[in-house]
Amino acid sequence: MFTKSTKTNTVHILLLEQLRDVESCLLYFESFMRAACIQETAHETLKGLGANVGEAEAKADISLRKMIDSLQGQSYLPSTREDIISVATSCDKIANKCEGIANHVVYQRFSFPSQFSEDLLKIVSITHNQFEVLESSITKLFTNFGEFLRDHSILDEIRNFESQVDRIEHKLNEEIYALDIELAARMQLAKHVESLCDISDTIENIADKMQIMLITRKA
Amino acid sequence: MIYLLLAAGLFMGWSLGTNDAANAFGTAVATRVIKYRTAIIIIAVCVIIGSFVGGANNIGEVAKLATSNEVIASTDVVTDAIESGMVPMLKLKSALKAAIIFVCAGLTVFGMSYFKFPVSANQSITGAIIGWGLYYADYSNPEILSVNLPQIGKFAATWVLNPLGAGIISFILVKTVGQLLEKKLSTLGGYDTLIKTGYIIAGILGSYSIGVNSSANVTALYFDYAYSETGVAANLLTNPVITAGIGGIAIALGVLTYSKKVMMTVGGSIADITQMDGFLVIIAMALTVVLMGNLMGIPVSTSQAVVGAVVGAGLTRGVKQVNFGVFKSIGLAWIGSPTIAGVLAYAVAFLTQGFFG
Repeated sequence: MFTKSTKTNTVHILLLEQLRDVESCLLYFESFMRAACIQETAHETLKGLGANVGEAEAKADISLRKMIDSLQGQSYLPSTREDIISVATSCDKIANKCEGIANHVVYQRFSFPSQFSEDLLKIVSITHNQFEVLESSITKLFTNFGEFLRDHSILDEIRNFESQVDRIEHKLNEEIYALDIELAARMQLAKHVESLCDISDTIENIADKMQIMLITRKA
Repeated sequence: MIYLLLAAGLFMGWSLGTNDAANAFGTAVATRVIKYRTAIIIIAVCVIIGSFVGGANNIGEVAKLATSNEVIASTDVVTDAIESGMVPMLKLKSALKAAIIFVCAGLTVFGMSYFKFPVSANQSITGAIIGWGLYYADYSNPEILSVNLPQIGKFAATWVLNPLGAGIISFILVKTVGQLLEKKLSTLGGYDTLIKTGYIIAGILGSYSIGVNSSANVTALYFDYAYSETGVAANLLTNPVITAGIGGIAIALGVLTYSKKVMMTVGGSIADITQMDGFLVIIAMALTVVLMGNLMGIPVSTSQAVVGAVVGAGLTRGVKQVNFGVFKSIGLAWIGSPTIAGVLAYAVAFLTQGFFG
């Protein structure tokens, strides 16, 4: 009775669909960042890659709405519905943030200085890995909930990724403010780095939300 | 006309319903696991069933306590009244005494609630009966003592045994059933189904136990304990099952008409425990109240049982997790409610001795 629930599978399937769309947005964003880290990349190319990120974000938005609609009439408790919606909307913010960064880089015709490429792409790569762990954690809610209640150390992995990103951000900021360029240019670069690291923060916040979800449901 | 005096007991039942419903479904309603309307219908039905099925046992016990405390006429008094043709007067006096006890208990509940002190309606009624008895009963008579002292002893013992029992049962349930169920869970949806089902089962058991336990307190004082021997009705009610059933209906009316506010308040404060613990706590309360009622033979406080069960559930996570400060205010209700009601009843007994003496 409590071990299988076919009724609520629709929500799980649609949530996974949304996560896949967010992940594809992250992948497009990774390509965008690779191009943005190369000084020679043409503006039109960057614009095209930015548009891909935007399209993936729009697709993720549609998946989110479909998932929220599917919650209606399901046998979930109101608090569970709220928690699922909160996790899903937070995941949607990941795609929104990717789109936001891509748009601003395109609008500003900005390209990242080559000496920072490695660290910037490292942040994107860590964020992607962090998102994959988040995906696995969310899946556990629908496939292995009892065990997840007892052992949610997987959420610590997500936090560890965020710490790695934090360390790189700190290092980058130190280097950026040591550059011999206009303060405005330094601040512009630091702002982009901050927005980039913010994606990892968002993923960490989702992990925190999930931990609260688990703690309030623990026997 | 004399049956209008039954209104005092029914009002007491109604107010019990408005308060005690929270113990059965408060957490579930406050945390939106169950809709308020669904909850009150389940409570009302189960309280009535509980009162008709199991309430009669407590009717006899409360009536026994009330008889030894001179609230209900004993067989000897009824026999004398039959011989002297004073049965209608005895009937009126008995109903009046019952109404006085309920007014004293009701005033205690109202006063303590007004000053925002926790209060137990069940304890107030028993306190008022004993208060009346302390004025009228001949405590130098070994026969009276042999009935009253064990009853008072039992009453005081429930202050400890009731929450302690609930705490132990709750601790065992959370430690074993709770953790076993947790292991069996595979999905979030399954968890929700478990919580909903658990709360409904717990609510049914809790409501049933309130019906079994509290219905006697509402109408037992209108019950003619001597009727089975004398065959003459010297009080308003003569059938124990119907007596308990009327009490159950009064409680159910309280639940149906005015329980939302208390349910949300009490439920919200108990809801500090997890959802899984929540329904196990109610099951522990229900089991304790029914077991204690059978064991001790007197109605016990459902609120005491809930507090004990909450503490028991908290102890499964270690002593540090338990807020023992809650006992200060609750202890005040356990001791304050019967004491104040008893003093009031004693004072009324003194003031009305010209009529009842």
